[in-house]
Amino acid sequence: MNLADVIEAHPADRLALIDGDEHITFGELRSRVAHLRSQLTGMGVGPGDPVALVAGNETHFATASLAVLGLGAIVMPITHQSPPAELRNRFDHVAPRVLLVGDLGSHLLGADDELGMEAVDLTALAAQPTDISDPGIVDVEADHRSFFMGTSGVSGTPKVAVLSHHNLAWVQDAMSNGLDPLRPDDITLGCLPFAHIFGLNVVLLYGLRVGACTVLQRRFDADESLRLIREHGVTLLTGAPPMWQRWAKADAPDDCLATVRYAASGAASLPLGVFETIRERYGVEVAQGYGLTETSPVVTWGRGFPVRPSSVGKVLDGVTVALVDDDGSPVDIGDEGEVVVRGPGVFHGYHDDPTMTDAVLTADGWFWTGDVGIFDEDGYLYLVDRIKDVVIVSGFNVYPAEVETALISHPGVTGAIVTGQAHELSGEMVVAHVAGTATEAELQAHVAQHLSRYKWPAEYHFLDDLPIAPNGKPIRRALR
Amino acid sequence: MGEYSDSEQMKFDFEAAPELPGSDRLSKIMFGGIRQLTNRLWDFTIEGREHIPADGPALITPNHLSFCDSVFVPAALPRRVWAIGKGEYMDSWKTKHIFPALGMIPVNRGGGDAAQAALDTAAEVLDDGRLFMIYPEGTRSRSENLHKGRTGAARLAIRCNAPIVPVGHQGTLAVQPPDSVMLKTKLPVTVRFGRPMWAHEFGDPDDPRTLRVFTDAVMFEIAQLSGQKYVDRYAHKDDKPGVLADLGADSAPAPAPASTRPSRPGAKPPRERLDPTERITPTRPSVVGTGPAMIPRPPTRPTAHSSGTHSSGTHSSGTHSSGSSSADKHNAQANGAVRSSSGRATPVG
Repeated sequence: MNLADVIEAHPADRLALIDGDEHITFGELRSRVAHLRSQLTGMGVGPGDPVALVAGNETHFATASLAVLGLGAIVMPITHQSPPAELRNRFDHVAPRVLLVGDLGSHLLGADDELGMEAVDLTALAAQPTDISDPGIVDVEADHRSFFMGTSGVSGTPKVAVLSHHNLAWVQDAMSNGLDPLRPDDITLGCLPFAHIFGLNVVLLYGLRVGACTVLQRRFDADESLRLIREHGVTLLTGAPPMWQRWAKADAPDDCLATVRYAASGAASLPLGVFETIRERYGVEVAQGYGLTETSPVVTWGRGFPVRPSSVGKVLDGVTVALVDDDGSPVDIGDEGEVVVRGPGVFHGYHDDPTMTDAVLTADGWFWTGDVGIFDEDGYLYLVDRIKDVVIVSGFNVYPAEVETALISHPGVTGAIVTGQAHELSGEMVVAHVAGTATEAELQAHVAQHLSRYKWPAEYHFLDDLPIAPNGKPIRRALR
Repeated sequence: MGEYSDSEQMKFDFEAAPELPGSDRLSKIMFGGIRQLTNRLWDFTIEGREHIPADGPALITPNHLSFCDSVFVPAALPRRVWAIGKGEYMDSWKTKHIFPALGMIPVNRGGGDAAQAALDTAAEVLDDGRLFMIYPEGTRSRSENLHKGRTGAARLAIRCNAPIVPVGHQGTLAVQPPDSVMLKTKLPVTVRFGRPMWAHEFGDPDDPRTLRVFTDAVMFEIAQLSGQKYVDRYAHKDDKPGVLADLGADSAPAPAPASTRPSRPGAKPPRERLDPTERITPTRPSVVGTGPAMIPRPPTRPTAHSSGTHSSGTHSSGTHSSGSSSADKHNAQANGAVRSSSGRATPVG
């Protein structure tokens, strides 16, 4: 098998990608990928070699990934916003054989000294003829490494998750085998960053595998994406909560999502208010899903059954999810437990980091996610919070997300992050970090209406800016 | 909330409900008799009686330390209350008249739908506008702490649109210790009722997360009223007095009951099979797909919250003023909370 096979079976004249003014068919894509395979072979890239790829959501991202995979080499996708110093750190951890840069990585060209290696321009490579013959797509074992995915996430410790060809291909197949799958006549918008697993496997590679057309948005801009949706008749729209938030507020006609038949959100929790605005304004129900880099990424999703707005959907067929207590016993339905996942999408560990791997993954493939969730009677999953962020006040669990939601529901609050702090009597106390115009007295009165007493913040700190990750998750460790 | 004079304390609406058990003359006599006796034989104090709705449905949710809780809590209420009891009581001549007369509704055990039958019976009582009593811990607390609440009461409250009245009592354990049949008289017993609590005050009733949020909020109020230490794990029949308080420290583990579970120091006993009539919370493990009864832990996984700011030692219950003088008074007795089961130190390797 080889994950690079995803583009091989489709008719040559079918549209695969739209990148600005450029319309690229599967036939054209295959020939560009073959050309790049030849050139990478000439550069000495072979099976098992890591190849760093710095690109935005551009055609180069697809051609380079597929060419590297086809050779049995490993793709290390890196977001184009990364400064050279950060890249150098990553290269100290995993030394790539080659560094490829797309149009959005062109600032790295000529920064050889800072990077410690030469950046190779994909635009220039594509224009260069080569006399090396295309070795074709090599057959690899199912567990052969395909991607090295950086996952600093919100935990703060940068790690490199090792994913196999089978990990990603299996998740694509499972989505295709589900109810109401993506079809070849679908058009998706590629606005989630492809350097992250969500945009990579759920949007780009899944779209290519199915033979659908993906409209690339190189840099996210809410107005521009709504224009692209209208212009190309996008039928499947997948975004992260900050994107949905901006689409909800965008200055655009209310029928601009008229062609969208399926809308999905992931990467962080979608606020209920945003769900409702999108539904009322555009007539579209956004289905949330849940997954992690380490699970390639889909664990639960929302296709093929009615949406429950606060839920992240149901478990993808073929994946096992257990909610367990600290000892590993499954909790009762309706009780909170840590989400533990086993399935063909679960990764092979963190690169060169057995300590981190052994902290989350068992020998027989159970991945402990660190997320706390609840199943309802019908198998819908609801996420509660990160287990490490729980604040324990007098023996009672306080989940910061619940307190943050209560604070943000005050009109004078633009953002809130809640942490715990040691307290000599109650063990820990709740501390609120708030941005906005509300006063402490107003917030005290407000939380009294919404939260049980032990959840009331004992301290308030007012800040101008709060540390929020690009996907919308609060970075609580920054405030502890 | 104030303390009631004898005459106020005796105010009681028998509230005959022909469609429910215990509406006969025997029942009326027994109820009157028990109320007289509790007042005369014990130093019986009732606080917060005004929180009991004068009419309409409500769930009465006390802490549970002794068999005689089922005597003192109903005796403290201004209205009749119903509860669910084992069907076997109806087989014995000693109990078949008395227990129903006291408001016990027999539900036959056995079968997977016993919990559902109990839940439906309880819903009928509430839908009829009556008070229904249930112990949210599911069983008596052998550890003497207040344990994690089962979500059954919250489920009923949402289903029947009824409030939950938290109840905390003190003194019943001394009146009837676990192995005692007789009740010791002349001891002080106090029953405190808290403000009625509604699910919608704590979250969207349609969101399953609200069940736990609401249940924990109720348990917090019960802890304030009873002065007990709260532990975030379910009560178990093998718990020993005080043993849970030591689990977070380097104490010897509780003796492991015979089971197929691999014995590991500090491992908790197997999931308790609660009497279905004591428990109205449906139990089904939270697993989608196929998995073993126990999911293995990763080899070097740090225990949850181990990087947190916890210090060992005792913590007092509640960082906030409860706004209730009687509760404040008893806060002092709460010598703190132990870390949740997910937070205690579990040996690895």
